[in-house]
Amino acid sequence: MNSFFKEYFDHTTFWTTLALIAVGLLSIYSATFDTQAGRSFEHQLLWAAMGFVLMMAALATPLRVIQRLSYVSYFVSLTLLIVVLAIGKKVYGSTSWFGIGGFGIQPSEFVKLTTLLALASYLSRNDISVGKTTDLLKACGIVLLPVGLIVLQPDFGTAITFIAMLLPVLYWAGASRFLIVALLIPPLIAVAALVSTTTFIIVLALAGITLYLLREDTFSSSLIFGVNVVIGIFVQVVYEKLPLYQQKRIATFLDPNNDPLGAGYNVIQAKVAIGSGGLFGKGYLHGTQTQLNFIPKQWTDFIFCVPGEEFGFIGAIVILALFAILLLHGIKLAHIAKNKFGSVVAIGITALFAFHIFVNIGMSLGLMPVIGIPLPFLSYGGSSLCSYMIMAGLLMNVYANRKEY
Amino acid sequence: MITEEFGSGKRKTILTIILWLGFAVIVGRLYQLQYIYSAEYGKKSEENSIRKVVEEPIRGYVYDRNGKLIVDNRPSYSVMLTPIDFDKKNLLFLSQILSIPEDVLREKIKRARQYNQFMPARIKRDVDFQTLSVLEEYKEKLPGVKIQTESKRYYTTPARASHLLGYVKEISDYQLEKLGDYYQQGDVVGSVGIEAKYEKYLRGQKGFEFISQNAKGQMIGTFNNGKDDIPPKDGLDLHLAVDADVQALAESLMTNRRGAVVAVDPNNGGVIALVSSPEYDLSDFSGVTSPETWKALNDDDSKPLFNRATLTRYPPGSTFKMVLAIAALENHVIDGNFRIVCHGSFKFGNRVFMDEHVHGSVNIVEAIQKSCNVFFYQLMLKVGLDPWAAMGKEFGFGQLADIDIFEENPGLLPTTNYFNRVYGEGKWTQGYLLSLGIGQGEIGVTPLQMADYTAMLANKGHHYQPHIVDYIYNNRTHKADTIAYKKDSIQISENAWDLVREGMRRAVMSPGGTGWEARIPGIEVAGKTGTAQNPHGKSHAWFIGFAPFDHPKIAICVLVENAGYGGSFAAPIAGLCMEKYLYGEIIRTQPRLAPKVTTTISLPDTNVMHHVMLPSHIATVQKVVQPQTGFQSRRDLQH
Repeated sequence: MNSFFKEYFDHTTFWTTLALIAVGLLSIYSATFDTQAGRSFEHQLLWAAMGFVLMMAALATPLRVIQRLSYVSYFVSLTLLIVVLAIGKKVYGSTSWFGIGGFGIQPSEFVKLTTLLALASYLSRNDISVGKTTDLLKACGIVLLPVGLIVLQPDFGTAITFIAMLLPVLYWAGASRFLIVALLIPPLIAVAALVSTTTFIIVLALAGITLYLLREDTFSSSLIFGVNVVIGIFVQVVYEKLPLYQQKRIATFLDPNNDPLGAGYNVIQAKVAIGSGGLFGKGYLHGTQTQLNFIPKQWTDFIFCVPGEEFGFIGAIVILALFAILLLHGIKLAHIAKNKFGSVVAIGITALFAFHIFVNIGMSLGLMPVIGIPLPFLSYGGSSLCSYMIMAGLLMNVYANRKEY
Repeated sequence: MITEEFGSGKRKTILTIILWLGFAVIVGRLYQLQYIYSAEYGKKSEENSIRKVVEEPIRGYVYDRNGKLIVDNRPSYSVMLTPIDFDKKNLLFLSQILSIPEDVLREKIKRARQYNQFMPARIKRDVDFQTLSVLEEYKEKLPGVKIQTESKRYYTTPARASHLLGYVKEISDYQLEKLGDYYQQGDVVGSVGIEAKYEKYLRGQKGFEFISQNAKGQMIGTFNNGKDDIPPKDGLDLHLAVDADVQALAESLMTNRRGAVVAVDPNNGGVIALVSSPEYDLSDFSGVTSPETWKALNDDDSKPLFNRATLTRYPPGSTFKMVLAIAALENHVIDGNFRIVCHGSFKFGNRVFMDEHVHGSVNIVEAIQKSCNVFFYQLMLKVGLDPWAAMGKEFGFGQLADIDIFEENPGLLPTTNYFNRVYGEGKWTQGYLLSLGIGQGEIGVTPLQMADYTAMLANKGHHYQPHIVDYIYNNRTHKADTIAYKKDSIQISENAWDLVREGMRRAVMSPGGTGWEARIPGIEVAGKTGTAQNPHGKSHAWFIGFAPFDHPKIAICVLVENAGYGGSFAAPIAGLCMEKYLYGEIIRTQPRLAPKVTTTISLPDTNVMHHVMLPSHIATVQKVVQPQTGFQSRRDLQH
């Protein structure tokens, strides 16, 4: 029995996941026990229990069955996205929720997973190659279809996470560095063009050098370079034509300090919370920023401020270490898994986790624009917690089957 | 494109490096924030925590057509409680001062604590001066309890105008969810009348003050010298078409009777007066409405909260005869020379339909003047149901008049389709039509629709959307925003207008006319009386009229429920209202303008026109029966 556990049970994923959920529950309790959202802790505890069952189910289901069901679940989730557009309820400005009883369910959280499974299923086929343009386009299409539907909600934050998953997966599946760079440059150029013309020119120059160094043939490099010049100029022209208040909104998105009392208020308060935590923190339930509710709804997207303020630098490092262990383990798993499907699933899940962690924490630290995406295992929210726990279960599943082809 | 090996070790290394880089950036930033600048942020969190505090705008004022202020704002004092500073030992004491039951107060504080224990929450709105002085006296012993000055509605004129102005009240949970982000618990919102319809304009825009506070949540001063504060934007003012004096007079004339008066300007559709009697006192709603007041208003037999001017649905009686007359003339069923001989009754099948008098030989003008039923029974048979209904529709019946308050009823204008639907095809007879010919039976109209129709008779077919608000005045830009109201017109021959309007003129001005009690000294008035039979009690008295005859400036409809003859009970009220509007005062020296025996009496309780005398029967308090309430307001339809 002991050797069975050693061989097949993924202790690393299991225990880091549980530890992170525990930190999340403590933080949610601290942020909400004295407010109108006072029952959030109990709700999250219930969700965690439910998530645990789902996690074990994801571990116990044979990988082959999951692979076979991947397209079905993909199409079911596309249908759900269409339905939610038609009848869903509006929360924080986008229509992405189903109301069932007192709880809301957000299908787009689960669609991340089903899309990854469908993509993995496709990429693990032996008759395709990401080097072939048609196969590559099909792979991209699998991801872009749900992205389109989520943009319609509109929920750009979630839409971006799909792209963030696609690039590492394509890279893992064998796409050339040139291709990845070519896909990565346009969004960077667009953002740079919004910041300033100087930034645009610098980023464009860097992109040009990269494209030259990684060139496969001079023609495609020049073409991509040309396209990006056009994108940058187009973005700048459109920006100039926008009404002033929209320009201001974009400027605030890029730099919250532009609007310290409006959209930037959260970010500044988050930085104050974390910064004032110091090395050792103010003590559990004693964070003044947290307890005075300075950051609206901080138990969702700004949850990292709570341990940041109450447990300080040491606490933050412990959380980051847990995340790092999980992510590095995920990459290792993708590498050692003999099964192609399992390998792509592992790398995709790791990419999703990594993107959420870096963007969410970066946002709380004022490094990233405010995109409303949750911090895995910590943020309050049933749909996201359950879907991340299913992903953890799948990682454990890949681990258990790592030696099978 | 060259494809490298799937999931190669090199790729693993590159992805791992990217991960480490990400973590390095985050750890570096954490080190920067939590170690290097930690002291600075610590100070900020202790001293310079900014909180947003809402500043209430002043709700827009309301003026009448002569620029007289009718709805003002007055200070009102609310008791605010900051949960963190409040000592629970004082709960009983505070509950006694405020006369709020202890458990209710405890619940309120609990809710406030859950929302934000550092923010003052409104515990009681609009407290009286006695409570204020007690609170002031015990200020030191009640930490966390504060008085906040707010504003409440104050009504400056004798006109109550409760149904047209409407009231504001504290937002309900349902409204809070429905109306969206702007409102918070404890805000007030316009709930009826123009206060509801123009809520968006009247309420203004909340402002925000940024306040610095310390780590204990105590306010320590303004943030950045108030440079970032967003001042509230006060609400816009409404200028009404209503004449507050005419409104007040009409209300006083309707005292102790149920019914409605609606007067409109036939040149633009502006509502000069809109009375639904009994009115209620809007002041009861301006601060806190006590449950007892609510209960009394709701349980009152006379249904004071029910807007009779726009929601009741009664048969219009003979006031509807002009619709049939115009339909007959326009469809060339008869002309001005057509005559019938009235013997005082009309036999149809084996039923006999009665008339009030034997009118002898009458043409259309005389038939309107004398309100001859026999003439119109026969006319209805000649015209037919659907052409009659079509003409009724042209005059706006059976549909919403689209006035600028939410409470409205479309009424009922029966057609062949309607009867087929209700009774089944072939199961109703031409006999049903005869009643409709004299405005009885299954037709239902509102006083507002009648005033609208009277205005069209006055201005020969121009239809202006009836409206209470004339324009909105923006006190920031000092610009008046006029509102585009709908207008259109119907095509009726000049001949038909002349005949029908002459009949109406004679009904008031000529001997033998039924509406002579609406006369005004020195001005020609046209009108028509109506007496709608009521199976539940005395008939409802109607009168519609306009003046001056040649260039009408006012069109009016008066309905007095369960009163009796329209000529006796509704016409005098219409005459006085028109006189007041046209002269600015009541100039007549005798109560009745025709040589008839009168008893001089003083008016019922009114401070508006103490010197005016009325015919005795007008001043009599009526014993009334239940009003009909089988209505459906537009609001109800929407929900």
